[in-house]
Amino acid sequence: MPVPILKQGDCLIASIQSALTDADLLELRDELSERVGRYRSKGVIIDVTVLDVLDSFASRTLRTMAEMIRLRGAETVIVGIQPEVAFSMVQLGLSLDGVTTVLDLEEGLAHLDRSRRARVAHAGG
Amino acid sequence: MAATRQRVHADDLADSIGLGSEELAMRKRFLEFDDDDVQRLEGMYGLTHEHVDAVIEAFYEHLLSFPETTSFFRDPRLLEHVKGRQKNYFIRLTQGDYDHDYVTDRLRLGSIHERIGLPVRSFLGMYAFYLRQIAALLVQEHPGDPEHAFQKFHSLTKLLFFDIGLGVDMYIHQRERTIAVQQDAIRELSTPVLTIRDRLLVLPIIGILDTSRAQQLTEELLRSIRESRAQVVILDVTGVPAVDSAVANHLLQTVEASRLMGAQVIVTGLSASVAQALVTLGVDLTKLNAVGDLQGGIEVANGIMRYQVVAIDDTIPEVVDAGPDPEAG
Amino acid sequence: MSRTPVDDVCVAIRSDADVVAARSLGRSLAEQHGFGTTDVTMIATAISELARNILKYAHEGEIVVETVERGSMSGVSVVARDDGPGIPDVGLALQDGFSTANSLGLGLPGTRRLMDEFEIVSAPGSGTVITAIKWRR
Repeated sequence: MPVPILKQGDCLIASIQSALTDADLLELRDELSERVGRYRSKGVIIDVTVLDVLDSFASRTLRTMAEMIRLRGAETVIVGIQPEVAFSMVQLGLSLDGVTTVLDLEEGLAHLDRSRRARVAHAGG
Repeated sequence: MAATRQRVHADDLADSIGLGSEELAMRKRFLEFDDDDVQRLEGMYGLTHEHVDAVIEAFYEHLLSFPETTSFFRDPRLLEHVKGRQKNYFIRLTQGDYDHDYVTDRLRLGSIHERIGLPVRSFLGMYAFYLRQIAALLVQEHPGDPEHAFQKFHSLTKLLFFDIGLGVDMYIHQRERTIAVQQDAIRELSTPVLTIRDRLLVLPIIGILDTSRAQQLTEELLRSIRESRAQVVILDVTGVPAVDSAVANHLLQTVEASRLMGAQVIVTGLSASVAQALVTLGVDLTKLNAVGDLQGGIEVANGIMRYQVVAIDDTIPEVVDAGPDPEAG
Repeated sequence: MSRTPVDDVCVAIRSDADVVAARSLGRSLAEQHGFGTTDVTMIATAISELARNILKYAHEGEIVVETVERGSMSGVSVVARDDGPGIPDVGLALQDGFSTANSLGLGLPGTRRLMDEFEIVSAPGSGTVITAIKWRR
């Protein structure tokens, strides 16, 4: 089942609606990577609130996804990891090193907003 | 029907403290308690039956001559009751069938003694008293045949040591159960997640941090992070007596899980000796944001959350909203 | 008509879609059996990892999730079975950081941490059976 991707300003929001197979996840990775280039997006939010399991494959794919998106010039924020899911991930030994994770969509948008302002300040100075 | 029910109950009590039939058989083998012993003990039934009243009376007279034990048997009705039980116990030693029912009976006795708080030394003293009494009786019964008397005494010693093992196991089992109940109680009491300010949580950890407690604590913290939308969490470990590599790993897992939910964790209260121990152990703590004490932790949290604490300056008059300035315009 | 709770589920693992099916069925069984949400998630994650392990090393196999009782304890067991190449050195496979298929090597030791009991029966050429149990707290 494909994941809907919304475009909002210079951000893309991928909002996962149901459990994903490996193929779905890989498709999402490729789709996001392609659209970041097409829309010249600066930030990507991946909302995983509905996911009740993040296993080794999903974690690894999220990491490579963030890395690909970074190489395409945008920042990735993962939002909505549930308490139980976070707990199981660390038990399993997974950490999502190098990927920004925040509480929910609202926080994700606020985070990207801060990044945008930092960029503007940097460009201005 | 009644026998069946009793049998089921016997299995319950013995099984509940890990005494299956295999374990019991092993214990008897270890004591070299065999059919000959059973026969000899059964042969002593007449002797115990004849002397039971005298032995038990002598025992309680002995017991009550010590102030420490007197206090347990102040109530005369209770005293009569326990005397009755002791008589049954004493005769039961020579009635054969040292099986599950026998074991349950012995376990129940140990359990009662533990519950009334009888010290283990008094419990053991009781067995020593019975051995002395029966030794004297056997010598009387077999004048000029000390070897025969000794054989019987030997069999009785084995059985009493079997009983002592069961009784002591019951003592230990009940104490362990008490400890487990208390630990659960402590566990429930000692995991408060405190909200210091909007979106800033403090989790003061007090006591030993084992795996199950660390997990419970982390679960609780993660739920609080979601509920209060926390940005920063301070884990204060001042009250954790020892931090070894296992505890350090638990802390790292808590930090990582909180980060996955979008909250930053600051660990405070790692003492100098703990810090030294962790470095010596080679635990990788590069991911741990550590600050000396709770106060310092709150200051760092303020920085992250862009708060500034300013003292109120009394020399500046309070701004009072007096409506539109009449002199303006 | 009363609905009887499910006591076991069996899922054939042949593709990545089966991994999703196995963990979702396992999850509902654990929920029905009274596990809390954290434990349910740990069980579902373990099922996911074990199912992946089957796909990666044996290409096909099955996952059986069922309720278990032992003494006064009650729990859920997950059995992952395949006729694949087997694991030559089980001890090595359970060491953190070990992997043969170029993954992160977190699979089995990590899965063991999610569960209370973990047992591997395997030999080269004769497949693998992994049994993992979680007891209800």
